[in-house]
Amino acid sequence: MFQNRAEALALALPAAVFATVVFLLPVAILLSEGFRAGGAWTLSAYTGFFSETLNRTVFLRSFRLAIEVTAVSAVIGYAAAFAIVNLPANGKGRMVGLVTLPLMISPVARTYAWIVILGRTGIVNQAITGLGFSADPLRLLFTETAVFIGLLQLFLPLMILSLISALENMPKDAIPAARVLGANWFQVFWKVVLPLTREGLVVGGTLVFTGSLTAYITPAVLGGSKVLMLETLMYQQVSVANDFVSASVIAFILIVMSFAANILLKRLATARSRR
Amino acid sequence: MSIRLFSPVVLFLLLVFLIGPFLIIIAASLSAGDTLAFPPQGLSLRWVMKVFTIESFRDSFAMSMFLAVFGTLAALVLGIPAAYALSRYRLPAAETVRTIVSLPIIVPGIIVGLALLRYLVVPFGFNITLTLFFAHAALVLPYAVRVVSASLDNLRSDIEEAAVLLGSSRLGAFFRVVMPNIRGGILAAFILGFVTSFNQVPVSLFLSGPGVRTLPIDMLGYMETTYDPSIAALSALLAFLSIGIVFLAERFLGFSRYV
Repeated sequence: MFQNRAEALALALPAAVFATVVFLLPVAILLSEGFRAGGAWTLSAYTGFFSETLNRTVFLRSFRLAIEVTAVSAVIGYAAAFAIVNLPANGKGRMVGLVTLPLMISPVARTYAWIVILGRTGIVNQAITGLGFSADPLRLLFTETAVFIGLLQLFLPLMILSLISALENMPKDAIPAARVLGANWFQVFWKVVLPLTREGLVVGGTLVFTGSLTAYITPAVLGGSKVLMLETLMYQQVSVANDFVSASVIAFILIVMSFAANILLKRLATARSRR
Repeated sequence: MSIRLFSPVVLFLLLVFLIGPFLIIIAASLSAGDTLAFPPQGLSLRWVMKVFTIESFRDSFAMSMFLAVFGTLAALVLGIPAAYALSRYRLPAAETVRTIVSLPIIVPGIIVGLALLRYLVVPFGFNITLTLFFAHAALVLPYAVRVVSASLDNLRSDIEEAAVLLGSSRLGAFFRVVMPNIRGGILAAFILGFVTSFNQVPVSLFLSGPGVRTLPIDMLGYMETTYDPSIAALSALLAFLSIGIVFLAERFLGFSRYV
């Protein structure tokens, strides 16, 4: 540990000043815009925003989808992480690599793949019409389901990776011990695995939840203007309606929800593990 | 279901879901037909070739490359000293500094882009390319600080104290003793920053002007108007680029140790 304060500040300040000037300040000013009208501080932009049905629908949809994606990715994540952890060493490495792979691919490319699959002439529709389930292709794109699938594929790897490390940090004999003592698989999961991996679940859950909440590309491409989410609505407010006050309100909601999720889930993790 | 059957089934379905779409893009991009379809109608490289002839893609690719390389370098120039200060000094307000430099990762990019457009570009006529550069550097800064901090924390601090005691200057000790030891971490931070910046969309969403567009934004625009396999081809090419970079990094650096 070096003690020289001036030296320490000289090293750290450029980065801190840079982040403050090109990031913190502009964002703070943008957020304050939603609280001001004609020079006075007011909440009118917020009451105005939530008085419109469309905005309420979009807000609830974003929140609901983020929760659904998080919940489903937790369920699939546990199943997948279990299967991967139990593989022999080299198979495990390969599977972790394959799960990590999508994270390196551009989200635009990953989202685009779903157009090829879910589009009017996509694979799913070809199968449906080909097998005679329906004469006309179904509208699969621009539905909430399409957005859900896209988001799930985008963020599932993050959940799996955090659950894998949580499962690996679990005492090796906890599960056999519980089995020997007569617990069934449901009890093993609920009473042994879940409490011991709670922190990994919380880390993965936070990443998936905030990721889904603040994703832009997937809702924009797979949902279009039919399935607006907060970010796509914000983009529209600015580029179509030139309404910066509403954009500021949405920005504030997004930031508050992300931070709240972070703090709440962190609390949850530490509170439970202290028991 | 027995555990022995359960695992392979789960893993198979998982890979179909995670990797399958990517394989389908590759197949669709090799189609000889005029419209996007799977299975591809005949095999050809015409759409892969076409990608290289589209001028706007070449321009936006160059822009994305520029931002990813220089934005990440800028983040490292700012981030390495900050990481060093955080790990080796008793820094006043260390927690505040740490929070400020890592905030860009938590705040949604679209908000940053909008804020910069509204308070930098519009009122001051600030250059868009330069603004994009700043935005990408800020976006990568948290990764730079985090990854470099991690490798500094793994390096014993007494080796540079020893160098200083033996008469080296603080700066000399950093460049001759510390730097060579955290080279891998710095390179890992660069690669992570590069991939993050190159693939990123929301920050650049509002920050485009005539002739100034990043590649993902350009692709999104193209997708809205055209329904041919060229975007599939471009997506596949980009995916191979990212995977190639990460694969090489893993081979030579053990990249995953740092991330």
